[in-house]
Amino acid sequence: MSVDITDQSPSKRSETAITSAAGRRAARSYKQTLVAVAFLLPNILGFLAFTFLPVLVSFWMSFTNWSLKPAVKFEFVGLRNFVDLIGVRPIAEANSGLLTIYIVCVIGFLLGTVGALWVNMSQSKGTRMGSVFIALTGLAFTVIGIAHGLDGLVLAGIVALICGVTGTLSEAELTFGKGSLPGLVLAASAAGLWTFSPAMNAAYVPNDNYFYQYLYNTVYMMIGIPLAIGGSLGMALLLNEELPTGPARQRIIGATVCVVLGLVMGGILWKTVSPDAGLIAGLLWLFAAMGIGFNVVVFRTLFYLPTFTAGVALMILWTALYNTNTGPINVSLSLVFNALHIHATPPHWLGDVAWSKPAIIIMGVWTGIGGTNMLLYLAALSNLPKELLDAANVDGAGAWNRFRHVIWPQLAPTTFFISIMSIIGGLQGGFEQARVMTQGGPAGSTTTLSYYIYQKAFEDLDMGYAAAISWVLFLIVFVATAINWKFGKGLETE
Amino acid sequence: MTKKTKTGELALSYGRLLVLALLGMMIALPFVWMVGASFKTLDQVQNVQIVAKHPTLENYPIVLTVKPDPVTHKMLNLQYGRWYFNSLFIAVGSTFLQVLTSALAAFAFARLKWKGRDTVFMLYLATMMIPGVVLMIPNFQAMVSLHFINTYHGLIIPAAFSAFGTFLLRQFMLSISPALDEAATIDGAGAWTIFWDIVMPLARPGIIALTIITFLGAYQSFFWPLIMLNNDQLFPMSVGMLNLSSSYGTETNYIMAATVMNVAPLIVIFIVFQKFLVSGLQLGGVKG
Repeated sequence: MSVDITDQSPSKRSETAITSAAGRRAARSYKQTLVAVAFLLPNILGFLAFTFLPVLVSFWMSFTNWSLKPAVKFEFVGLRNFVDLIGVRPIAEANSGLLTIYIVCVIGFLLGTVGALWVNMSQSKGTRMGSVFIALTGLAFTVIGIAHGLDGLVLAGIVALICGVTGTLSEAELTFGKGSLPGLVLAASAAGLWTFSPAMNAAYVPNDNYFYQYLYNTVYMMIGIPLAIGGSLGMALLLNEELPTGPARQRIIGATVCVVLGLVMGGILWKTVSPDAGLIAGLLWLFAAMGIGFNVVVFRTLFYLPTFTAGVALMILWTALYNTNTGPINVSLSLVFNALHIHATPPHWLGDVAWSKPAIIIMGVWTGIGGTNMLLYLAALSNLPKELLDAANVDGAGAWNRFRHVIWPQLAPTTFFISIMSIIGGLQGGFEQARVMTQGGPAGSTTTLSYYIYQKAFEDLDMGYAAAISWVLFLIVFVATAINWKFGKGLETE
Repeated sequence: MTKKTKTGELALSYGRLLVLALLGMMIALPFVWMVGASFKTLDQVQNVQIVAKHPTLENYPIVLTVKPDPVTHKMLNLQYGRWYFNSLFIAVGSTFLQVLTSALAAFAFARLKWKGRDTVFMLYLATMMIPGVVLMIPNFQAMVSLHFINTYHGLIIPAAFSAFGTFLLRQFMLSISPALDEAATIDGAGAWTIFWDIVMPLARPGIIALTIITFLGAYQSFFWPLIMLNNDQLFPMSVGMLNLSSSYGTETNYIMAATVMNVAPLIVIFIVFQKFLVSGLQLGGVKG
């Protein structure tokens, strides 16, 4: 493998001097490419075999009825998988006109959303255009609402119309404030769509009963994302400054005092109250001792542990924690309820349709809160220009103002990166939790799209249909990322 | 006045220490409960206490199938040691190959000049957006037709290449001064020498970070082994744990002992290598 990247070694110079300059350059570039190919070969073979080719095959499969069941005869079915997956069919013929209206409403809602985001994120030109979008949404909602006697839709339409028209006519400086106006419009148009939904549901059923439910589940579980991001930021802010623990001697003394206190207090509580109380008190003092001895790095390590150990084992641990009768969460809850004389039973967590999703979200937040996102925030915080913070201090800015006007805008690129990665991950997530903790239940309440793909492909052996779902998922991820990209970039330059 | 501010600041920082310790407690409690439950006997496991009244070490040899179950007097139907070995073998194999192929390709993308380099690299980046599940189905089909089902190489080879690893190492290699290459070239060094003796040693933090990330991913991987294997002799820890929890779901003490043994090596690896991991992740994220 001793190939040169350039022909500048003395022994070769005489040879190459004979050929023309152009020929020499061509030969060199050819040779360089050859060397590069040698370095790339193993990787690119794997890339072609396990990434590039499968993408093409998967795309083609989604238009077939490819199945591992021997009884199914292979056929090219065109768009049938996609129609079966996302299509709807009317229950009664009389109502078939509703579909068009519904589609108009959904498009209106999307337009309104984009418009609202636009107003919120960008400079004056975007505000004007966004307002036009909002006004159009309002108009569509009002007209359809009046035509079909849907009061909610009319109301929502009028609110959006007023907001949109005011925004369009007035100058860029909106009196409502950039933040509240789009929020109002969004709420109104969502409410309008909501009031229209019963009529729609009465007239149409989806071809695939599960798809929309599982899409809803997937999006529902993403509630954890902002919680985890906020938590990560909070933790990063706590960890950003060193604890002023003084010189080495002072640190050793402080840590020793904490350890001794922990042993004494823990020992007393262990004997008098309960071993658990002693253990917890002792641990708290131990954490304090480590904090004093080794500073914030101890807590960074501790907070990152769930992320590092995440996997099937931790999910099994949480399944045991959530156990309705014997899990420590519910046993502690009933103790608390008894002590406070509350007549309530703790939730069934993973066994209850209403609590299964929150249970998985709580676990997700616990796992991810001190993870990679916190590290990214810490890196960003350490790169903050110090002059900015000093200037804010000189101006007498309080902690909140310093955060809101100095730190938060500076962190925007990091927040943007984290939210894009989290949304991509969230839309594709939920497989392991569903497979390990709930089998997607109860009643499909924890089945996400990725688990649905697994079920279709490896339980029903319906590969073509599963490939179709995976491409719809890709499309959703792509659109979400594109929207995030468009408006996140605006946020970044704010 | 100054003294007062100083006292205030000190109080604030002790407050911060307290908040951090409480947050740490919140993170640590599930782990603490896990360790506690692994020392309980079956009749105590339903109690809420973390610390068992009569702690026992028995669960560990039982899970490792060295000792029989005290109730049924039979060995558990588990291959725990085998799963451990499988996980390590698969993780080490795929990590070694992936880091090697990624480093070679990253060198070609970062340090060599050739036609079409940026186009090919863009193609690599573009595929990072495609969900894993899209690739999973055709890849599984390919494994079926290659008779790779229920084999180690069926688990290792598809994990030997990654666009992410290539991307991460390329970022590292770009930050190494190109003057070094030029000097070496003038001295008559070939591309391989430059790669092996100059770039690789300087890219070591990146290599270590990628090694940890890849090892962790491979050690914890679940979806792929789950669909590729039905022979429990080949199960990695992740699939084995699922098997264990479905066979012995009520014996929480065994499951927790197994979980402790599964998680403990990771905690050790993490504490030893965390410095590299942190810097690697931050570089990958911030410059990404």
